[in-house]
Amino acid sequence: MYYFTNTHKDMISVKDLSFSYGSKGVLKNISMELQGGNIYGLLGENGVGKTTLLTLLAGLKKPQSGSIDTDGRAPFDRQPSLLGEQFYLPDEVAPVPAKAADFGLERGKLWPSYNHKIFLSALEEFEVSPTQRMDKMSAGQLKKAWISFALACQARHYFMDEPTNGLDIPSKAQFRSAIMRYTGEDSLVVISTHQVRDLENIIDPIIILDKEDVLLNASIEEISKKLFFDYGNEIVPGALYLERTPGGAIQVYPNTTGEESKVNLEALFNAVHAHKDVIKALFQ
Amino acid sequence: MKSEFFSGSRFWTYYKYDLTQLWRNHMKAAVGIGLSGLIAYVFVVLLSLIRGIGWHGIPFDARFAIMVAAFAALQLYQTRTYGHLTDKSKGSAWLMVPASCFEKWLSMIINTLIVIPLAFFVTYLAVDSLLCLLDPGIGTAVASKISGGLGSFSSGLVQVNGTYDTTWSLGMVVGILLASYCVNFLYYLLCGICFKKNKILSALGIAMVTGLVLSLILGATGLESLVEAPDYEDFASAEKDIRALLGTLTAVMWIVAAGLAAGIYFRIKTIKH
Repeated sequence: MYYFTNTHKDMISVKDLSFSYGSKGVLKNISMELQGGNIYGLLGENGVGKTTLLTLLAGLKKPQSGSIDTDGRAPFDRQPSLLGEQFYLPDEVAPVPAKAADFGLERGKLWPSYNHKIFLSALEEFEVSPTQRMDKMSAGQLKKAWISFALACQARHYFMDEPTNGLDIPSKAQFRSAIMRYTGEDSLVVISTHQVRDLENIIDPIIILDKEDVLLNASIEEISKKLFFDYGNEIVPGALYLERTPGGAIQVYPNTTGEESKVNLEALFNAVHAHKDVIKALFQ
Repeated sequence: MKSEFFSGSRFWTYYKYDLTQLWRNHMKAAVGIGLSGLIAYVFVVLLSLIRGIGWHGIPFDARFAIMVAAFAALQLYQTRTYGHLTDKSKGSAWLMVPASCFEKWLSMIINTLIVIPLAFFVTYLAVDSLLCLLDPGIGTAVASKISGGLGSFSSGLVQVNGTYDTTWSLGMVVGILLASYCVNFLYYLLCGICFKKNKILSALGIAMVTGLVLSLILGATGLESLVEAPDYEDFASAEKDIRALLGTLTAVMWIVAAGLAAGIYFRIKTIKH
């Protein structure tokens, strides 16, 4: 994180947010606060509204009720000052009929903090040629070019929808490295993902969405204080979640001893889904 | 602190970007449509050579008709110029560009009403003039006829209504042509950013229904009879009525154009992805 020195603490406040597609409710009275300096992992099953929430935060959709406040501004107003401070990266990115370097130079002028050196540097890390036309790239290369551009914009708020989808194994590690390197200390990053293992080491706090509900919004530290992740062979009765593995088992149960353990996001997700009420009560 | 509504420097930065995208994605099509005169010329010459009837180019009237048809095709093409706004990934990327809604709208209007038609006309007229220079047998160039003939175009209308000893106001003719040009281009632009699929068919369908409804209204109000059969017995009165009707039509068309421009702004402001 050596390019960006923003000392401003950003915050997004979501209050009683509701959204539905026709009669199908997706988000219902969702409230949460997102603080700058964090990389939020937005998890949830298919169709619970992760993308909808991201697009609402970015201002691509208008809340049907409730509000979103981004540093005192409503995202759907799409004020240029706010648009210049944020970046939304969709799951499917658009092909562009231009060389990557030209795309960066032309489009980057619109973001006040855009840094072309970062763009070229990130492209190099992702092993994408800046002279390659973006509409001739593979889906993975195109995604990496857009990720590089997003990071070069030096935004304060990032909303990324499944950024590791379509990336090969080395690129996933490069993505983690690039996110840590090129986002500012106080940047607020929200990443929606199903690929929790790809991002396990960088996302914190964790938000788990359910149908019309937020099941969990807690930091890794908080999770590890309240839940214990047992990787031993001894099966503990009453575990919230149990998964047998070749070497033993992963069990999740309430942390009664205060002992710390490494949070396993897949196990956490499954435990939360299997015991929604218990988890909500535990974290309230 | 820049205004959130309009900033000159931000607009200029955005406009240059938008123009680059326009050039990259659509200007080739506009220029391609502008080359329709050349394509038709080559086709006719080849056909006449194959049939063994010698070198035959295209006369002025045909070249003028091709230009009008190509211009109509260019109008339909406006459904595509900013049609990507309805595409989820391209539209999202466009909406997230840091420029105000007004700035994006203004850039869109300038490109649609000025830049693209200009590219088309410059291409068509330049190629046509070149053809006339190389093949003098095909007659006068469209450009020279237009530039030298706006006055005669006006008197041409007098000849159409030859029984009347009067001249029509050139301003009135240009006014109604300009208004209908704006209405058409803005209409297809609006359809392009509203409909997700079948943009051209939807636009044409709505235009046909609207035309039908308007003709029914005209018929019901008796205005149709004035357009089709002015009072030939009383020339002064007929001319006055037709002038008034043309004036009203022009005013109505400008109001429609303004409404369409406002509709485009509203669509940009409220589009969701």
